[in-house]
Amino acid sequence: MLPNRSKTSVLVFLLPPLLLYCAAVLFPILQSLFLSFFSWNGISEMEFVGFANYVRMLTADDIFWRSFFNALLYLAICLVLQLGGALVVASLLTSLRRGRELIKTLYLLPAVISTVAIAFLFVPIYSIEPVGLLNQLLHWIGLGNLERAWLSDVNTVLAAVSAPEGWRFTGLYMLIIYAALIAVPKELEEAAVLDGASKWTLFTKIRFPYIRPVWITTTIMATTYGLRGFDIPYLMTNGGPGQSSELLTTYMYKTAFTSTDFGYASTISVFIVIECLVAVGLILFLLKRKADA
Amino acid sequence: MKKQFRAAAVIAAAALALTACGGGGDAADPANVSPTGEIKPREISWLLSRPADGAVINIMKKLADDYAQEHPGFELNLITTPDRPSYIQKLETLAAANKLPELFDTDATPFARQLAQQGKMVDAEKLLKSLEIYDDYRPGALDYQRFDDGSLFMIPFQFELEFIWYNKALLEEAGVSVPTSLDDIPAMCTALRNAGITPIAIDGQDQWPLERYVAYQAFREAGPEFVQKLKKGEASFADPAGQKTVEWMAELGKAKCFQDGFSAQGYSDAQNQFTSGQAAMYNIGTWELPSLATDKLNPEVRDDIDFFTLPTTEGSVTAANEFVSPSGIGMAVNSKTYDPLVSDFLKFALEKYPSEYAATGALSPTTNVQTSIPANATPLYNRALETANGLGDQQAMPWDTQLDPTTNGRLQQELVLLVQGNITPEQFTTTMDATIKQNAPKFFK
Repeated sequence: MLPNRSKTSVLVFLLPPLLLYCAAVLFPILQSLFLSFFSWNGISEMEFVGFANYVRMLTADDIFWRSFFNALLYLAICLVLQLGGALVVASLLTSLRRGRELIKTLYLLPAVISTVAIAFLFVPIYSIEPVGLLNQLLHWIGLGNLERAWLSDVNTVLAAVSAPEGWRFTGLYMLIIYAALIAVPKELEEAAVLDGASKWTLFTKIRFPYIRPVWITTTIMATTYGLRGFDIPYLMTNGGPGQSSELLTTYMYKTAFTSTDFGYASTISVFIVIECLVAVGLILFLLKRKADA
Repeated sequence: MKKQFRAAAVIAAAALALTACGGGGDAADPANVSPTGEIKPREISWLLSRPADGAVINIMKKLADDYAQEHPGFELNLITTPDRPSYIQKLETLAAANKLPELFDTDATPFARQLAQQGKMVDAEKLLKSLEIYDDYRPGALDYQRFDDGSLFMIPFQFELEFIWYNKALLEEAGVSVPTSLDDIPAMCTALRNAGITPIAIDGQDQWPLERYVAYQAFREAGPEFVQKLKKGEASFADPAGQKTVEWMAELGKAKCFQDGFSAQGYSDAQNQFTSGQAAMYNIGTWELPSLATDKLNPEVRDDIDFFTLPTTEGSVTAANEFVSPSGIGMAVNSKTYDPLVSDFLKFALEKYPSEYAATGALSPTTNVQTSIPANATPLYNRALETANGLGDQQAMPWDTQLDPTTNGRLQQELVLLVQGNITPEQFTTTMDATIKQNAPKFFK
């Protein structure tokens, strides 16, 4: 229990970061909420349009909905690669006796490479004319009929731009999950093994429940990172061909800085804020409920 | 929650723009081209979108240094963003913040027209006339910079001609000859494909190269007025000229005219395909003469490379000597910061610029100088330059400088889908006409 004077000083020390947070996060969100009720191209007069931008976004904008569903699919692919991949690799790592450090470092490497470099690395990999690495590999293993221009095909482009993002952060989440896994008390595992638990039971009944808090945090991190995905799709395809790899973020960016429709771009950004809050709420709700059950 | 930071970043930029807007002063009189008063040397800036080590920047740097010798304290700060989309974003954000520098580059876009209408740019026609150099300029070079009403607010620094370069050996191999009509091109592509040759190498990543093609049929069918009407919603893709364009683009796609996966290939990828003899045709302007018509060109194809100008069509309303001949992005003069110094420097620089520029082997936007052919040039170099002497009165405008930004962005996206066969010509027409209807009124009130 802190004495009163101490409480005040704690508040005093908490205030600067709180103000910083308000200035850097809350204020811009409110500002964008304000702008979303206007039609404004930067140099014209600001014109109050009420809910017209919201009505347009929700009922009359085909690109908006296309980008929304693209963003969800992008998120799904990223989550499977990042969390699923991380869990598998981390589990395998714990059963490894030697070379753990080397493998950890290798997996973490992509996370420290700049995004721009990753984007430019993957463009030629997906290329068909001249033949890129992926198509060459498919050809060698006898799957030549799958060869295609991955970034120009409207059916594959979204997966093709999601994969680099997923691949990039697998190592990072692997590291976090690995740290949680090696903290699982050995006695518990040994006791379970003595009771005749299989490896799968060991994982589902002992290890996973033990790392659940870390898993929740990792899921929230990966989801919010996935929802804000922007740079790799923007650099690799600029949302194309057509709107096939357009995400809400790239669409918002283009609306603001190419179409100079700042009012409407703010409307989209308000939607993205709400979407993120809903996503985090949903994850907490689902995983907490499971934990309580 | 990280997502909020992205939103925050974007909105912070907008918020900055908003606050700056309130503090912005009124623009000066854009027609006052000869300000009086003392010349007080200071640092001035030119926000531009040109190659960092290109002729324009090198010459202007040198001229600024010469000027600074006579006017100590003067400095020209050149801030270049060669990547055009990034540049446009920068320009528009600065314009929104009312923080444009003394000089800035822009095409004759609808956005620039709004700036001009708000009196933020100096009248370039009056400026050039007051410097007595107006008549030196090629009419075509100035026309390219004009808005639809004929007003001129940008000064050209280049003059380029766009050709379709081709590889004679590859055409021969496929048994086809140079097309006499635009309508011959799809069949030509089929023949080339059958011979295992990529017909046209195109930079799909930057999007403007494909957008050039959409301008061609309409320019031949209905002249330069078509896009002027289209962008305002007074003409539509459903009109005969529009339909001819759309159908032709779809045919180019069906005949697989462009390299596979072109939409993800960049400028140098396309050029390499052509100069390495893999692709038969390549549509680019005279700014690439140093790499296409000198001994820098791959010796294996050097003797096979030639060019033809934009073919006409049956019943074409524009002539064979009328095609895309841009004078590049123009330079606008900010009326708010226009003072005796800026005026005096422009007088000094614009008079000396043409001879310096022509000496680099490029076409000057003026007619009072002779371009010097580089020592390592192939005969093609001179032939390309001479084409500039026989130009007609009209020119095909690139559509990316004409349409409002939202329509332009959508057109670039839909064109790829149309050419790739992902959408039908009907879907393309419906989508584009609806897009123009929704966005044009905001820019062409």
